[in-house]
Amino acid sequence: MKKLRTGMALAATATFALTLAACSGGDSNEGASGDAGGDEPMGNSLTVWAWDPAFNIYALQEAEKVYQAEHPDFTLDIQEVTWEDLQTKLTTLAQSQEFEELPDIFLMQNNAFQKNVINYPDLFTDITDSSVAFDEFPEGVTAYSTIDGANYGVPFDAGTAINAMRTDILEEAGLTLDDFTDITWDEYIALGEQVLEATGKPMLSGIAGEPDTILMMLQSAGQSLFDDEGNPTITDNEALSTSIELYSEMVEKGIYLEVNSWDEYIASIVNGNVASTINGVWISGSIQTAEDQAGMWGVTNLPSVDVDGATHFSANGGSSWAVSSNADVALAEDFLSATFAGSTELYDTILPGAGAVANWLPAGDSEVYAEPQEFFGGQAIYADVLSFAAGVPSNNTGAYYYEARDAVGAAITQIMGGADAATALGEAQSTVEFAMN
Amino acid sequence: MTSKLREVPKYAFLSIVALLSVGPLYFMVVSATNTSQDVLGSSMLPGTNLIANWQSLTEFQDVGSAMYHSTVNAVLTTVLALVVSSIAGYGFEVYHSPNKDRLMWVLMLAMMIPFAATMIPLFQLFADFGMVNSAFAVVLPVIATPLLILLFRQAARSFPHEIIEAARMDGLKELAIFWKMFVPTMRPTYAAAAVITFMAAWNNFLWPKVILVNSDYQTMPMLISNFTGGYVIDYGALMLAVLIASLPTIVIFFVLQRSFVAGFTGVVK
Amino acid sequence: MTPVVVPDRAPKKKSKGPKIKPSPAARRRSLTGWAFLLPAAILIGIMMFWPMFQALILSFKTGRGSALDFADPLWFNYTRMLEDEIFKMTVGTTLLYLAIQVPLMLVTALILANILNNPRLKFKGFWRTAIFLPAAISLVSYSLVFRTIFATDGLVNDWLLALNLIDGPVNWLGNTDTARMVIILGLLWRWTGYNMIFYLAGLQNIDPTTLEAAKMDGAGPIRTFFSVTVPQLKPMILLTVIMSTNGTLQLFDESFNLTRGGPANTTMTMSHYLYEVSFVNNPNFGYGAALSYVILVMVAILAAIQMKVGDKRD
Repeated sequence: MKKLRTGMALAATATFALTLAACSGGDSNEGASGDAGGDEPMGNSLTVWAWDPAFNIYALQEAEKVYQAEHPDFTLDIQEVTWEDLQTKLTTLAQSQEFEELPDIFLMQNNAFQKNVINYPDLFTDITDSSVAFDEFPEGVTAYSTIDGANYGVPFDAGTAINAMRTDILEEAGLTLDDFTDITWDEYIALGEQVLEATGKPMLSGIAGEPDTILMMLQSAGQSLFDDEGNPTITDNEALSTSIELYSEMVEKGIYLEVNSWDEYIASIVNGNVASTINGVWISGSIQTAEDQAGMWGVTNLPSVDVDGATHFSANGGSSWAVSSNADVALAEDFLSATFAGSTELYDTILPGAGAVANWLPAGDSEVYAEPQEFFGGQAIYADVLSFAAGVPSNNTGAYYYEARDAVGAAITQIMGGADAATALGEAQSTVEFAMN
Repeated sequence: MTSKLREVPKYAFLSIVALLSVGPLYFMVVSATNTSQDVLGSSMLPGTNLIANWQSLTEFQDVGSAMYHSTVNAVLTTVLALVVSSIAGYGFEVYHSPNKDRLMWVLMLAMMIPFAATMIPLFQLFADFGMVNSAFAVVLPVIATPLLILLFRQAARSFPHEIIEAARMDGLKELAIFWKMFVPTMRPTYAAAAVITFMAAWNNFLWPKVILVNSDYQTMPMLISNFTGGYVIDYGALMLAVLIASLPTIVIFFVLQRSFVAGFTGVVK
Repeated sequence: MTPVVVPDRAPKKKSKGPKIKPSPAARRRSLTGWAFLLPAAILIGIMMFWPMFQALILSFKTGRGSALDFADPLWFNYTRMLEDEIFKMTVGTTLLYLAIQVPLMLVTALILANILNNPRLKFKGFWRTAIFLPAAISLVSYSLVFRTIFATDGLVNDWLLALNLIDGPVNWLGNTDTARMVIILGLLWRWTGYNMIFYLAGLQNIDPTTLEAAKMDGAGPIRTFFSVTVPQLKPMILLTVIMSTNGTLQLFDESFNLTRGGPANTTMTMSHYLYEVSFVNNPNFGYGAALSYVILVMVAILAAIQMKVGDKRD
């Protein structure tokens, strides 16, 4: 098989050479396979795949500087790849067994971690026994990248959920941030109606058919879409059905504005059409692009769902560093444990620089976290976020997270369109079961 | 006078179509000068943020390099594709036989399968030959496309056979007939083919993204995609990038559209 | 029926038909013909048929990730589709797009090309470029613009409200029917000018004397269009029909970028679903390959019918 393929490639090149000769010219010395990934112990260079220059890549560049202080010859080759494309590349490389094209380290969405490790264990290196101290991260966060007790990822970007509110709009309704702290969703809805009446503005906005808000509610109640055996639990899930009821109620009462795309969602926030937003702390970056709203924002915890085990904390998104199977493992592990899992200096730099909140608990002791943030009316929001992070219940994503998420999203659309909730969720359950068999 | 009046609906129709077509482009141009917040507020007025957008575009992205790689890939693809596919299309039509018609039909099957299904085996093929990250690997799969061959086959159908016969009488070799008679006559077809091939190559995304593992070789569509991958999207800078990336195709079209002049039939008389 | 002159090359072609024993010169020419096709055929063979063959084998395998085994029964992935409610829905949606959008687009393109081909038309370069522009604009801005103008508080609603055509804002992208309509409008907008250039190119190859002759015979512009222009454009029309059929059945961009397949997967196309199955969800490449072969067969059947009807050398 392999021989045949090589033969065909040869034939292809021969044809190409002929074609080239037939017509004149054409620039062609682009070539040269770029990967130098080594098996030799401890080189001094690492290749990393990551996305978002203002956030992840910025953090990597700072980490490179931190590591260079001890290892002056060290260099980091950062390749920018969006998450969608990174997943496509990983799948292509794994499916065609071309592991030598892998970088040393790549960033992975927490929600996709289980799926990739379970399907393509050959892409990863088990770093359980490395110098990384995994107990210095919240358990709910390391759980994403832990499969069968083995650690495959160093948590980086926290998806800790915040309830970011326009204090000026609340004030118009005679309310303050405190009124929204440590409350239940029922209380939240009552207050929301008050705000809507006084200001005409809905509390929240979100993309119709995307279950982010509902999944954050679900996780805050300590539940997920799968049980411990990995079976979907979309039906007979009290926390889920309660969350969906709350969501429907908010949409019906005009407290929750459903929009159709990410751009519209961001627009509703930065154009001041809503009184607040609930999302991962990374949303603060987008909020702060509305410079005219400086000082008008505040952050508090989430309302709780009225079920057993409910908390005021949740998460959405987030990502972790994985060491590939093609890595200079010793160097990659040392780099990660000396930076993202061991450098207060790093986190002190990237917090004000990019709003990147640490998952690494010791970083929270730094005074940088206690600094008041002007945009948020002088509130030390990052210290607050860290205290939220410790309380986030872990989320069982399993390998079929995206199927379940899509199915629940479709069910919500149907329910909002008037379908019976039990029927719609039953369909979602069977869609996921179909995908799993 | 009456004929002038009859022209009115025609121009009105063209104006409406042109307006609808250009509208979004106008939004794109205006947005490139606006802040992210204004773009999201769908502001239709030009702003003053052009320079700031340029700075934030170039702060993280190497636009020059991406334009260079896009240009190399697109030009290489267009030139090779036109040569390989037009001679094949000519061969299919001018020397047509039942067997060649059957082969044409078989070749067309190749364009009917979604690329997502064949991408991985194709990647494996190039990887086995150590051609990952090479410009060859980007262009080779798109040089011979059934669509382009079909285009030239269909166009060759209206190429008068008398010309070929006459040229043969004059002792011209078959390749020379193609090169000296067919190519100049079919200038409009070549122009159309060049436009669509350049456009497809320029906008090609999935395959270059996969085969160009090293992002030093990244092209404009990848650069634009990078913009939408972050937590905070700078819509003003994004629209500027999109505008820059759209220009080459527009210029190519504007230059080549002159070939679509009625009555331009070259040597055919 | 009509006295209009259409150039008639048919007898000449017939005389070169297979009945007559080929002369050495004709045989040499036939070989030259094969030589002309060879580079393209080899390239397509290696770059397309080899991967297609691999995908065919894959479509008989099941399993997750890279650990795949032959299914039992072999056609398991193909029968699995019959119970796949989402896939069945995407087939219906895609065929709906095909039935509405392709005829509308090609007729509009043909009319536009015919108007733009008039030698007396002013500002031809401007019109042509303006109408082609949508095809040149990157998908990112096009989908952003379409999402913005069809937003609940977007331009379209503002105008319709101002004209009193609707009572309240319509949630265009939030309802199945209107979201599908937006996708079709998007396709029309983006691809009409693209198809127009094939017709423009084809029109240049039409012998102007046939048009003059029609005029002499007293045929009006519409009559001339249908009895002289359209028959001679037939090869190009066939090309665009096959191309658009293929493009629509493999439609991915609009579904993926404009609506993300929503609401509740009702605007999702087959190719979009294939992509989700392979690269977004827990990867199931055997099933994905089987889906792609179903798409291939659908395109092939439609193209075969179109070739049968439209590819006669007459």
